[in-house]
Amino acid sequence: MSAALRSFETQWRTRAPDALQAIREAAMERFLKLGLPSLRDETWRYTDLRALGAQSYREAGCETSSTATPSAAALSAATPSASLSLVNAGQHAATLTMINGCPVLDADLPEINGIEINSIRELFNQDPARLRGFFEPASDADQRRWVLLNTALFIDGLYLKITRPVSTPIVIRHVSTGDGAQAAHPRVIIDASPGASATVIEHHLSEGDITPLNNSNTHIALGKGAQLEHYRVFASGAGATHLDALDIDQAQDSLCRQFTIALGGGLVRSSLEARLSQPGASLESYSLLVGHQDRHVDCVNIVTHAAPNTQSRQTARAIAGDVSRVIFNSKVIVNAGANGADSKQSCRGLLLSPNAEIDTRPQLEIHADEVKCAHGATTGRLDPDMLFYMLSRGLDRETAQSLLVYAFLADVLTGMSVTSARSAIENALISQLPDSQTLRKFR
Amino acid sequence: MLKISDLTARVAGKEILTGVNLTVNAGEVHAIMGPNGSGKSTLAQVLAGREDYEVTRGSVTFEGQDLLAMRAEERARAGLFLGFQYPVEIPGVNNVYLLKAALNAKRKAAGEPEVDAYEFLALIRQKMKFMQMSESFLTRGVNEGFSGGEKKRNEVLQMLVLEPKLAILDETDSGLDIDALKVVATGVNSLRDPARAVVLVTHYQRLLDYVIPDQVHVLSGGRIVKSGDKSLAHELERRGYDWVMGAQVA
Repeated sequence: MSAALRSFETQWRTRAPDALQAIREAAMERFLKLGLPSLRDETWRYTDLRALGAQSYREAGCETSSTATPSAAALSAATPSASLSLVNAGQHAATLTMINGCPVLDADLPEINGIEINSIRELFNQDPARLRGFFEPASDADQRRWVLLNTALFIDGLYLKITRPVSTPIVIRHVSTGDGAQAAHPRVIIDASPGASATVIEHHLSEGDITPLNNSNTHIALGKGAQLEHYRVFASGAGATHLDALDIDQAQDSLCRQFTIALGGGLVRSSLEARLSQPGASLESYSLLVGHQDRHVDCVNIVTHAAPNTQSRQTARAIAGDVSRVIFNSKVIVNAGANGADSKQSCRGLLLSPNAEIDTRPQLEIHADEVKCAHGATTGRLDPDMLFYMLSRGLDRETAQSLLVYAFLADVLTGMSVTSARSAIENALISQLPDSQTLRKFR
Repeated sequence: MLKISDLTARVAGKEILTGVNLTVNAGEVHAIMGPNGSGKSTLAQVLAGREDYEVTRGSVTFEGQDLLAMRAEERARAGLFLGFQYPVEIPGVNNVYLLKAALNAKRKAAGEPEVDAYEFLALIRQKMKFMQMSESFLTRGVNEGFSGGEKKRNEVLQMLVLEPKLAILDETDSGLDIDALKVVATGVNSLRDPARAVVLVTHYQRLLDYVIPDQVHVLSGGRIVKSGDKSLAHELERRGYDWVMGAQVA
């Protein structure tokens, strides 16, 4: 057993039981039995976790370094490393804060018509039946290994119940704080009732460059006709290791527009597993993966068309500079009987350095007859004809290159309907491109 | 303004230019004609500074400077403009952004302040009107989804905004209907000035009915085999390129 596994087991043994005990126990047992994923596991073949496995981890608590009793006020005083504000204050969005996964639910939390905000742990104590479905282990698949651990060890989490159409975006600010010998397991559930709609932005950032191992999970459930625009933005410090799993269940005629933006962290592994369970369910997944310095970004999407006439669109843009590595692995599964399924995967990679690497692997697994499934993947350098055209107009090479990189990402950026989030993301993105000053002027 | 001496150049190991000699003075309009594959476009690209075109011999001076020692962007800022035969589409980069960046790069190199955003928009609107282009060009990506004719107009628009000392227009007339050809010709003529020069690279004599050249050169086999005044263009039109190439062999 690896040092990491042993330390997680120790944590488990010393925890006081709570209302989720049986669920946690089952998850922990399976996690210990399966062990950490390795390069031999299908979805982990590009990300080596041996160094991570050789470490021991303590529980990352709910305190920031600046205060022992966290409050929203204390937190706003804290200055996270990659502080980018994703929504303008003027838009009156609710900002919820989680510290190492623990929600900070002050009494002065804004009330938003159409959204119930709860602590998962408290809700479980009151009404376990409401939440049980979100903790059913889906499978033993290798991409779910860390979710099992999250289920066993998460301290608390945030449960958002969206009951009506809500127009203001809700921001969940995940602050990671502590040291590298700690581990946190943030958990979020977004549950949209039939006909409800909302925009939720999960913004992961850190206090400083060194952070606890972050093993987060978000579960989205969309009822009939519900619509959600969801962002997860990874913007932690350069030393952060972030393993994030996103689960999406979609009922009839629901629409999920999902944006995964990797702009920070040292090792970012993000997975998305979507299940289009009923006819008419539609998923748009956008991934913007930026490899900078020695960052490693491994993105895995698994989309299952489990019902007829379901639709999925995946658009991924990966750029890798310096000595970074970006992986985009996407799989579309069309179950037997899911006739009329319509899926497209478009993945483009752009290498900005001879020492960077991009791996893309679009896959299809089709068990139905009447389907429309397209996929394309290309990786290359900047187009020399485009570059020469711009140079011949007098632009300097760096500006021309930056504009082309920016243009390359446009397919993802233009899909974002929260304009302030888009411009904040653009800003953060631009700062990781050469000649950022010039670029800013041209936005 | 431009002096090309014994220029030879290679593309992908193949010698395309085999010794070009050409002098263009300020105030002049020169036409370079020639059959397909004679090296016209290569000459234009070499002058603009395309790096994958390897100059193997000869010299080019532009306003007394060694042009071949300058990078493409430096040539542009010094006042050289290439109108592309096939302008590339750059989705995601706004047409106006590019033009503004180009103008500012030139102004910066000349030690001038950057153009005011409001003034720039007024300038570009005026030039677009002149080129009979619709306002939608302001919001579109560079050449994105443009028809062949729209791309050529856009090239001339860029030229009018950047006001180069030397404009090299590579088959800017090809693929244009007669109305568009007239608009393009009007654009080129508006730039005629004692301090500027224009080199028109063209396959047909058609454009030269509207932009009257001072000199016409025939490029064949990678070098200029015949030069003359505008009547040479008419003669070529009548007798075909075989006439010049035949004369060359004879």
